[in-house]
Amino acid sequence: MSQPATPPRHPRLRALGLLAPTLLLAACTSSPATPRADAAPPANAPQVTGPLCAALPTGTEPGNPTFLAGQSVDQALRWIPTLTTFEAALRTSGVLTDLPAGTGVTILAPSDDAFAATFSEDNWDDLMTHHTDQLRTLLKAHLITGTHPIGDLSTAGRTTTLDGTTVTVTRTGPTTRLADRADTVCADYQATNARIHIINAVLGPLPVTADGTGHRAH
Amino acid sequence: MRRQRPTLIAVSTLIALTLTTAPTPANAQSAAQPHQVTALTVRQADGYATLAWQPVDGATDYQIERTAVDTSGTPTGAPTIVGIWRPNRQINQQAPTFADAGFNPGDTFQWRVRARTDTTEQPYSDPVTATTTAPWGNPTTPGEQLRTGWETTHAAQYTSDTDEYAYTAAIDALSDRVRVVELGRTVQNRPINMMVIGHPTPAATPEAVAATAPVAINCNVHGNEPGDREACLIMARQLAFSTDARITDLLSRTTVLIVPTINGDGRANNTRGNSTGQDLNRDYSLIRQPETTAYIKMVRDYRPVAGYDGHEFGNSRAGDLPMLPPRHQNVAQPIFDQSQDMIEGHMYAKGAEAGWWACPYGCEGGGNVGLSEETILRNTLGLKNVTNSLLELRSSGGQTRPDEGNTANNRRRKTYSALWTFQQFLDYHRTDRSEILTARTDAIEFQAANTGRLVFRGSRPIPAHPAPHPGDSPPPLDAPPANLILDNAPCAYKLTDAQYNGARTDGPGGVGTTVAQRIAAHGWKVIKTGDGYYVPLNQPERGLIPLLLDPMGVEKLTDGERVHPTITGRRNGPLTVTGFTCAADATINGPVTVRAGAALVATGTTISGPVTATRAAGILIADSTVNGPVQIAATTDAVSLIDVTVAGPVSLTANTTGTDTPLLAGTTIRGPLSCTGNNPTPSNLGIANTVHGPRTNQCAAL
Repeated sequence: MSQPATPPRHPRLRALGLLAPTLLLAACTSSPATPRADAAPPANAPQVTGPLCAALPTGTEPGNPTFLAGQSVDQALRWIPTLTTFEAALRTSGVLTDLPAGTGVTILAPSDDAFAATFSEDNWDDLMTHHTDQLRTLLKAHLITGTHPIGDLSTAGRTTTLDGTTVTVTRTGPTTRLADRADTVCADYQATNARIHIINAVLGPLPVTADGTGHRAH
Repeated sequence: MRRQRPTLIAVSTLIALTLTTAPTPANAQSAAQPHQVTALTVRQADGYATLAWQPVDGATDYQIERTAVDTSGTPTGAPTIVGIWRPNRQINQQAPTFADAGFNPGDTFQWRVRARTDTTEQPYSDPVTATTTAPWGNPTTPGEQLRTGWETTHAAQYTSDTDEYAYTAAIDALSDRVRVVELGRTVQNRPINMMVIGHPTPAATPEAVAATAPVAINCNVHGNEPGDREACLIMARQLAFSTDARITDLLSRTTVLIVPTINGDGRANNTRGNSTGQDLNRDYSLIRQPETTAYIKMVRDYRPVAGYDGHEFGNSRAGDLPMLPPRHQNVAQPIFDQSQDMIEGHMYAKGAEAGWWACPYGCEGGGNVGLSEETILRNTLGLKNVTNSLLELRSSGGQTRPDEGNTANNRRRKTYSALWTFQQFLDYHRTDRSEILTARTDAIEFQAANTGRLVFRGSRPIPAHPAPHPGDSPPPLDAPPANLILDNAPCAYKLTDAQYNGARTDGPGGVGTTVAQRIAAHGWKVIKTGDGYYVPLNQPERGLIPLLLDPMGVEKLTDGERVHPTITGRRNGPLTVTGFTCAADATINGPVTVRAGAALVATGTTISGPVTATRAAGILIADSTVNGPVQIAATTDAVSLIDVTVAGPVSLTANTTGTDTPLLAGTTIRGPLSCTGNNPTPSNLGIANTVHGPRTNQCAAL
């Protein structure tokens, strides 16, 4: 028999690990984080926009935008399927938890495809495991103080990310272009004190190391 | 060695079952238009639906359309092209099938298929409508009702580490068939668990499990490739609770070993490597990391005879399920052949029935992948005489499916294709168990004979599958370069005390385990004599030993000293062995006595006998004949008789070899076999001996 265990960095989760079997048995079809089917959508249900939105949880599916609007930002990021790389990096680096309590934040969140097109796997693992400072700088290039709808950002025409970089924001038809290199693919997710705009390219200063073939050997 | 298999095989009884041919009555009556697809059927299975139809003459390809509908058949979504089937993608050119996946299991859909002639779209077939199979397990039956985090979130989230531990612990608690054991811990102290699954209960000890010829699935070595892991967790529930005769039968014949997450730290951080950045699938021979060490010790103790290693693959020109056998040229031919049979003989044929496109790893534009690094589990297992394959799940939609990015539907397609593969893997073991075991026996006897050249890097060729074939290009040839071939294999490697026991820096935090510990984890026999530690090559893992201990090794542990045979050809008169003596292809006319503290290693040798060893350090004989009695007593380090013919009695008495198990395997004894007072108890590695006289005491079952 194994003992459920967790790494030392997350001692809080130990209790969850022991609790979870009961939950699984008692309510197997509804994990604790699953939205209640009978929860009434708030009147101001978030309207996400962009070509990727339809492929993400919609309607009453687990992880739908209305449900996420009531979640903390780190929880909301976990629910968006295409943000696994970005979400893990934010969590590993601790950048979000370093923000002053109560600070609103806007997140320009590159998709997994965007990361795969930017960093080789070796490069990415190196950043994640050995170069926390570079990683934090990279991530700060995707964070903006305050909760900003994408329309407000494009109206302003420019914004400044936490790494101090000025980023141009231009409305281009149904999507919005940032820093002349990234387009929103699903914008205006809401979470507690946060806005999340999914973008299709990585911002920030680090060089492209992906070779473009996607031939990651086993 | 690829065998022709019957193309019509009963559909797995696990796969449940709705065979739907439900066009509306009006459509059913309509005469087919020219070039219209006819006879469209859909068959539901776990997480996918197999569409099949009558091929259209002259079709370039076919488009598969799916529309979400409600229970009355009214569309609730837009029609979507979910697949393209082309006649060179599977081996069933005359009976097209397509596995549609990437939907919420349990939802209802309507499907249509149309041919295209060049780019001209021909008329759609009549539609068929069916409800897909809901996630496995009755929601009100204890055990069956368990769901993974991935399932409850509708694939929006992968199952977390703590969810996995809770889920597997719940299965363990609710099913007599399942025991969860902890193989070790990751660098960050996450447990590396294994589910040991048998019917009605799994055998109690690793040795007892090994006797059932178990199969092993390594589900998730790269933390950012989690699709196979979810399939493993779902399959574990099916194996634990299904009352299907197929499941209970296969579990009563073998033991299924499932390691959901060897790389829990990498999974939690979504990185390929572990928390130190080490790619664990470049470490299975060197075992510098605790994760790989845990797996290799498991292989040593549980002795799986067949394996799968789950991955995802970023090559968008690949098939659904690229697979590859152990290709390193030091892998014994029977293991390579059996692995190829599993892939091309079984998976290609079954994939063509189910509609999955299994193909050789690499596939189109595969690049320089699928090579001979023994650090890769596929090759490591092959060098440990395990029939096995790599499995890739194509990361994106590729040529045959829409590119959906890392969305829930794409995740479902990957995971349910892995679930299909793993279930087929169990079926292959079930039907071909005797062939797998024969291949393993032949491989171990070949390796222990220590014959033939050694190759340090270089693969066996994978010929293109004969047309019509499931991939346009085989993996790279990867022939061994001349400077990585050693024609004159040594008898053993000799290590100094510093090499064997010295401190190392090649592990996490600059601290590595010793060579002695790693050799022990692999399970190799070592003999200490006065002047060093000898690792003989006449062992089952002969192909792997030089890769870690020879100066020519590309990724080696240390530069061992090659020790060549000291006795070859004909030798007359009594032989008294002192120190380390190696006989190869020799004829020894006379009795052989191995003195206390000495070691005898022999291959391809005929000894008139008797052979007597008392308080020897070690005695390892393989592929040899002894025309007289063999008495081995009070050995201190290692005892091994593999593929030896003994024309007389054999006794193993009071050998005390520490953690090393005495081996007596594939040996013919024309006389009684007696084993008493040995610690550990001798093992036959699952390779039966032929004993003409009585077998007694510890060897009664050998």
